[in-house]
Order: sequence, then structure tokens, then C-alpha cells
Amino acid sequence: MIRVLEVVKSYAKGAARVDVLTGVTFTVAPGEFVAIMGASGSGKSTLLNLLGFLDRPDAGTYLFEGVDWSDKDDDARSVLRNRKIGFVFQQFHLLDRATALRNVMLPLLYAEDEATDDVARAERALAAVGLSHRGDHFPGELSGGEQQRAAIARALVNAPSLILADEPTGNLDARAGSEILELFAGLRDAGRAIVLVTHDLAAAQRADRILRLDAGRILS
Amino acid sequence: MTRSQRLLRDTVASLAANKAKVGLMMLGVTAGMAVLAAVIVTGQGARERIMGLVSKHGLDMLMVRAGGEVQVFAPRADRGLAVLFPEDAEAIRSGIPGVRLASVVQNQRGVTVVHQERAVTTRAFGVEDQWMEIRRWGMAEGEFVSPADLSAMARVVMLGAKVARDLFPEGGAVGQTVRVVNDPYMVKGVFIEMGASAGGDDWDDRIVLPFTTTSRRLLARPSLEQIVIRVADARGLPETAERVRALLRVRHGIGPGEPDDFFVREPEDVQGAALETSSTLSALLLAISLTALLAGGIVIMNVMVLSVAQRRREIGLRRALGARSGDITRQFLLESLVVAVAAGAAGLVLGVAAALVLSAAGMASSRVTWVPFAVALLACAVLGVVFGLHPARQAGRVDPVLALRAGRG
Repeated sequence: MIRVLEVVKSYAKGAARVDVLTGVTFTVAPGEFVAIMGASGSGKSTLLNLLGFLDRPDAGTYLFEGVDWSDKDDDARSVLRNRKIGFVFQQFHLLDRATALRNVMLPLLYAEDEATDDVARAERALAAVGLSHRGDHFPGELSGGEQQRAAIARALVNAPSLILADEPTGNLDARAGSEILELFAGLRDAGRAIVLVTHDLAAAQRADRILRLDAGRILS
Repeated sequence: MTRSQRLLRDTVASLAANKAKVGLMMLGVTAGMAVLAAVIVTGQGARERIMGLVSKHGLDMLMVRAGGEVQVFAPRADRGLAVLFPEDAEAIRSGIPGVRLASVVQNQRGVTVVHQERAVTTRAFGVEDQWMEIRRWGMAEGEFVSPADLSAMARVVMLGAKVARDLFPEGGAVGQTVRVVNDPYMVKGVFIEMGASAGGDDWDDRIVLPFTTTSRRLLARPSLEQIVIRVADARGLPETAERVRALLRVRHGIGPGEPDDFFVREPEDVQGAALETSSTLSALLLAISLTALLAGGIVIMNVMVLSVAQRRREIGLRRALGARSGDITRQFLLESLVVAVAAGAAGLVLGVAAALVLSAAGMASSRVTWVPFAVALLACAVLGVVFGLHPARQAGRVDPVLALRAGRG
């Protein structure tokens, strides 16, 4: 599914240079649920941005489904992200003034295919996360767990092959968090690859495999 | 549904979710467009009213009559002493700015016209081709004097409606031959019913011929009874009349203190005041409305710039969901375009309504035509794009990584 080889990334912070990733190597197989653990500031989010083509590595190779996209332009990478990758964030990032259904439909806005019934697809995605009855509610009317489920429906609506989740349970209570992780496990069973970034061991233990990120490298 | 339809739908939904902000954005453009529309509608109304007055009362027409004012009451035989000639008309036509059209006029009473066993005695006029446009007459059938008729001294005649009725009760006058003072003439046209002049002349009881035909054949004299003139702008008529007078005095060798041997008749000044349009006021209103539109555009731009800053997280999210940088720019541009056009349309409706209320109250006249509004709406669209461009580009340049990190809290 994805193959990461000696990926390096650093940022300029004022005059200083911060080496965030110093040579990260790992692979994720199709339909595999992988958790990446690390302390805060260990470069987890940076790694996730690279995997999601929001950012480019300074060095090293990243193959997505066997293809190196590093020399492709931003537009091509945006289209790929739209089709193949679903993002789930810690703070949900739902649009407050849009209903759950319209939030779920957002990725379809940027999809290339024209002949689909957007509403029906969004309703199916909401059903897949158990939120069929909440489609016309605004985010403010949903519980935290429901909001995150709506965000997951949004990540699923374009049927991506890879889901990238950044601390998805970080803002949820234990019970809601557990439900979200259950949902991820179900998605893995349906054949999607999942990369979950977290500093919570209990959450990471729901994955098939745990990678530890420390000082910009993956510890074996 | 195509991509652009989806974007448009999302844009409209997102605007509808921010009614207060959108209302603020629309305010300036709506106000500017309302004033502009009112100015357009009342301006068109005033213009149309004036045009109507001008053509109804002949406010743009001058008539130069042979013989001075004093001679009007002189015995008929004395009047021929002072005359006008075709060269006077030519000098007026070519020498006086503001003269749009001019025609010589000869006329003779007591001319007999015969067709088969019917005969009428009427008044014959010899004129040039511009005469009909100057007098605003029209043909019921056939055609008027042409330049070719003039150069050929053609034996053609146009009949007044009453003459045509008397000679051809069954109709079908055009193309027939009539005898005018015993010579055969072909009927080229028949005038529409013109009624009578204020002085009681029956305009339908006359025949009209090419001036060359009357001067060389029918009347066999070069002198004119009249020169009729139409000015380009009715408001400049008094000045033009004065110039005509001065020119003719020079041409006729009239010394200082001597009376004119001609008379320039201006239309009665009944509606003179009506021609004084409130052009200063409408220029002022126009300037105000354009300033308001410009200010409206700047308001749109400022609110958009603010909104880009407020919506960085949303922009980052949309990029993460697969929006290309260009998609974001297009969406913001579409927002300002939709807002500007909606504001313009709202202003148009308000302005037209206000103008119609004013004219219903008798304080202005209104005329609604669609072309200026189409232009105005197009201008609003341009305004939306121009003032939306800068914020839209800013939105497209938002770095999703930074924007999503900033939103963390």
C-alpha cells in the first residue's frame, strides 16, 4: 500500500533548523491497521502530512501504491488525495454552519466524476458510521463522538484506500473513543489501510501493528 | 452534476449560512446600484418626455420666410421685392454649425390638378429631399422626393391625403398620371393624414413636387418663399436662429440699423423650460452612485480578506479533502461574484421601484429599458471579480499544513 524509505523532513524555525524526521522507514500493507506512537513533538503530524501529500519530504522516497508522487504538481497530488486518502483529525474540523450531511458531501465537491448522486453517497457514508438519523443536524447539535463519526463518514465518502487519522480519540471520552476505534477496526476489515497516529497506548493497541516514532526515526 | 455546478451550489449554501456577513457585503453595492438605477430610469424618462415635446411641437425647427416682419401686412405685390434664393439655403446648410437639415420651399396657390374627369385646385410646394424629415411628415404609400428626382427635374408629384381622396376616391393613386397645370406628372406618393396647422392651413390639401421641377418648370422662378431648418439640438435653437439671421443680413447686404428683409420664425417658447433638464442633479447623482459602487466593491474586498483570515482552518480542511489551490481561489471568487451580482440585482429592484414611486407621485417621469440594466449587472459581475481577485488569490495560497495546525486548540 505505502512504502516509506529514509524520509527526512526539517523546518526552519526562526534562524534555527528543526529536524523533525531524520530518516523514517516503514511500510503499510493494503487493509492493514497501523498505529504510530510517539510523544508530542516527535513528528507524528508531520509524517501524516507527508503521507497525505499535504507536504513534501526533503529527502527519501515515499511510494503510494507503488508510485512515487514527489515530482508531481500540487493539483495532481490534490486529486490523488481526494480519491485515495481520507483524513480524520483530532478536532474533527467540521464546518459549523453546515449540516452533518453537507459536511460529509464536501469531498465530493472536488471529485472528478460527475454522474453520481452526491446525497445518496453521503447518506451511505453516514449509515456506515451509524449516523443515518443525524444527517440534518449541525455539528453543534452532535456529541463529540457523533461529530467524529461524521468526520469519518466524510473521510469515507470517496471510498479511499488509505485513512489517515491524527489523534482521532484525543478530544473524546473513553467510551466514545472506544467506539471510534471500533469503527476503524471495522473499516480495516472492509479492506482499507489505516494509519493512526496517537500518543495513547490503549488506542494504539487496537491496531494490527504499533510503530514507535522517536527523535525523528521509527524504532523497530 | 458538473464540478462547477457543485462549486456554485456549495458557494450559495455557504453564503446562505452567513446571512449577516453577506448582508454587510451587499450593502454598498446595493445602495450604489439603487441610486444608479433610479438615475437611469428617471433620466430615460426625462429624455423621452423631452423628445416627445420636441417632435410634437417642432421645438427643433426654424423657418425663414421671405419678406421682413413689416411686410407681412404689405400688399401682396410688394412682398416679392425681398426674396430668398437657393444659395441662401446652401449657405445656411454649410455655414452654420447646429443646423442638421435644411430645405428650400417654394409654394403657389391656385394650382389645378386633374385626373380624368376629376379636378381640384390646391396649393403646390416645391421642396428638397430633407423636407419630410424636417417637418416630420410621413408617406401613406409610395415615396417622397429623392435626390435623383431633384437632379433630373423629375415630373413627379406627391399628393396630400385630401387631394388624393378627391382625385382617386377608389385609391391606387401611386403610379397614375395626373395633369398639373396641363402637364403630365406621375404620382410618386401619397402623404398620411396631417390635419391642419394652428393657423388653419389644411395640410392635407396640397401637392408637393421636387424643388427643381417647380423652379424650372411649374413656377419657372428661382425665388423661395421659405427655408425650413432642423437643428441638431433643440436647446441650441435660439443661438442657431441668431446665426441664421446674422448670415442672411450679410448675404443680403443689410446695413446696421436697417430692418431685415426676411423673418426667422422660432417655435413658440411654450415648452422652453421643459428642455432645461436637471442635468446637474443627475450628474451629481451619477457621481454619487458610482462612488457608492466603488465603495461597495472595496467593502466586498475587505470583508473577503477578513473572511479568508477567519476561514483558514476551513481552507486547510478543504485542501486536505482534495481541493486544488485553484478550486479554493475559484470558490472565493465565485462568492464575491455571487454577492456582487445579488447586491446589484437587489439595488436595481429598489432603484426602479423608487423611480416608479416618484413618477407615480408626479415628481419624475420614468422609462424602464433593459439594456442599461444588463450593462449595470454586467458591471457588478466585473466589480465582484475585480475586488474578489485579491482575497481569492490569498485564499488559494493558504498552506494547508499551517492552516490545520493553527486550528488546533
